[in-house]
Amino acid sequence: MDSGIKPTKMLYILFVIIAVSGLYFILPGITTAEETPQTFLTHTGLVIKTTGEVIDPIGYDGDALDFDPETFMKDFDYGEVSVLEDGTILREFYITARDDQIMEVSPGVFYNVWTFNDSVPGPTIRATEGDLVRIHFTNEGSKPHSLHFHGIHKAEMDGVFESIGTGGKFTYEFYADPVGLHLYHCHVHPVEEHIAHGLYGVYIVDPKEGRDSADEFVFVLNGLDTDFDGENNFYAANTIPFYYQHHPIEISTNQKIRAYVVNVLEFDAVNNFHLHGTLFHHYPAGTDTVPSGYNDMLTMSQGDRQILEFSYKYPGLYMFHAHNTEFSEKGWVSTFLVKENTNNFDDQVEYDDIL
Amino acid sequence: MTFSKPQIAISAIAPVVLLAILIIFLLGPASTFLQFGIVLPEISIEKVEFIGNEIQATVRNTGPIDVNVVVADVNDRIQPAAIEPDRHLERFETALVRIPFDWNEGQPYTVGLTIDDGTRFEKQIDAASPSLEPSSELFVFLGIIGLLIGVVPIMIGLLWYPFIKKLGKNTFNFFLAFTIGLLLFLGLDAIEEAFEISNTHLASVFNGELLIATVVILSFLGLYGIGNILIKRSEFSKLSKGLAISLMVAIGIGLHNLGEGLAVGAAIAFGQVALSTFLIIGFAIHNTTEGLAIAAPLTRTKSVIGKMIGFGLIAGIPAIFGTWIGGFSFSPFFTIIFLSIGAGAIFQVVWSIFQFIKGESGSLSTISVICGIASGLVIMYLTSIFI
Repeated sequence: MDSGIKPTKMLYILFVIIAVSGLYFILPGITTAEETPQTFLTHTGLVIKTTGEVIDPIGYDGDALDFDPETFMKDFDYGEVSVLEDGTILREFYITARDDQIMEVSPGVFYNVWTFNDSVPGPTIRATEGDLVRIHFTNEGSKPHSLHFHGIHKAEMDGVFESIGTGGKFTYEFYADPVGLHLYHCHVHPVEEHIAHGLYGVYIVDPKEGRDSADEFVFVLNGLDTDFDGENNFYAANTIPFYYQHHPIEISTNQKIRAYVVNVLEFDAVNNFHLHGTLFHHYPAGTDTVPSGYNDMLTMSQGDRQILEFSYKYPGLYMFHAHNTEFSEKGWVSTFLVKENTNNFDDQVEYDDIL
Repeated sequence: MTFSKPQIAISAIAPVVLLAILIIFLLGPASTFLQFGIVLPEISIEKVEFIGNEIQATVRNTGPIDVNVVVADVNDRIQPAAIEPDRHLERFETALVRIPFDWNEGQPYTVGLTIDDGTRFEKQIDAASPSLEPSSELFVFLGIIGLLIGVVPIMIGLLWYPFIKKLGKNTFNFFLAFTIGLLLFLGLDAIEEAFEISNTHLASVFNGELLIATVVILSFLGLYGIGNILIKRSEFSKLSKGLAISLMVAIGIGLHNLGEGLAVGAAIAFGQVALSTFLIIGFAIHNTTEGLAIAAPLTRTKSVIGKMIGFGLIAGIPAIFGTWIGGFSFSPFFTIIFLSIGAGAIFQVVWSIFQFIKGESGSLSTISVICGIASGLVIMYLTSIFI
């Protein structure tokens, strides 16, 4: 037998050891972070101490958002107004479609949104019954898009059979008719894809005599399928999940609130709306002057919309959310912060009497 | 043709240098040219633990690019959570996601994590059970389990020694072949278990299947080398050939039991199996036959009782270490490696016993050998049903 191991054998063994120790490099451990413990509070009141980061869509300040639900809910676009020779009011709108934008839709989640005027939902278009609505549409997207408005109009203004190609323009023109809460959206096939990516908006036609004065809000109930598996990863009122839970909408007691609620949710057949602490009168599609019910629940399928009118008797923090708890626990949960109304306006007392 | 020493050195180094230059070129100047196709990020939730009022998930970036983990959910309902050390994961980096959640014992849960591009990854847990806190009681408990599935059954199996010692040549060959059947089954069993762990716990980026194949072959080659040295030595020393083979069997079974102990310890720690009395009984029956495999090659050797007990301990004690390691710090990667080492070692032992029988009786195709292997396999299959 050999008295010792030959150098060549040593080399072989060394080679094997080097090869095996390569494992160390493909298996790095947990990296060390700065030890700065922070605490955070969960929904159920648990206090967690962590040296790491908190991932919490609710605790998001929203500053980095490309889209601000705060301004969107009260932002009504009345268009460029002019008067025609016959006295008809003309409202002109400019809408541009794009499909290349990446938006931070929830803290840290980046999603390719398809937009009307760089926003999901698109601008809330508002006109009065009988106005001539003229929409200058430009498609700056890479795919064909169109504008399909709900309402009464000529077939060639329906935006379904004539899709507008990349760089194309089209002018839609129709009279605002009928009174109510409507919507518009892209109607290019596959429609599901175009809507799920964000090509929709609200279209309101006010009655000639106007509606009672009220605090008005637009809530577009939508969802985001960020991993394209045909199921929504996030749900929301106005796109950003959990936004109004963290940023309560401030209103006053005995103040009339009018909410324009439009459901454009894809992939789920039914969405719903539940209001805490009070009940609402609701007007399907806003077309009638007589409410069709007094309730705190609304069930809506795709494209359904309702005008809600309500007021709060008591101050405090009240939730409104999908009573389908899957939707609410994935973002469609919001709050009203009701403050005591110190001014006792007469008209509001009258309003209470009417109601 | 003859080459000078420097020429030979250059021919050895040149390909390595050129390859290095090629890699630098591909990573540097050519990197933009080669960027085509869509790069999909991927994360794997490797481990989910239920501790106090929290569900804790260990996540690893197993994709080709860096990711941020930005949303955590339980049963597809979004939950605020903490991620340590931070949400940014480089390739292969791991992080711990702590989700405060009042979970219910015994209930199934799905833990989901969403990354910055909106893709959600999930892992299902069949039944939540509290993760075991490291304690002296758990240490003793795992030790006893290891003792019951490893040492005790092997020692019982060794008691067959006087019986097989009295057997005639054919019957003895039958028993040797019987141990071959047992061991073959154990080897296959370990490989199957390694595949199972690979499928359920190991991210695909680690190539579990190829890892198993590689380690089985390496282990076989390593033990083959050691075995040859032992048997060669036995020709010069008082260590008989039978003793050498018995020692090899014990080492092989010991490595196997280490892997088996790891798997059992991990199963206890995760509460994935109800560790019922049946399971212990099953392991006891199964592993008693391992004692037989150690005893059989020793029957032609004298005064072996002390050594035999030593071999029994070599084969059985690793099960205790296995349950400890598996119970306290389970790593799917290393459990697969140990199971594969065990399998390779056992195949080497099978090879040694074949050689032993061939040396003793000159033939492997006798009825007693074939029947022995067959009954060994069948007995193991039947006892495996209990586990």
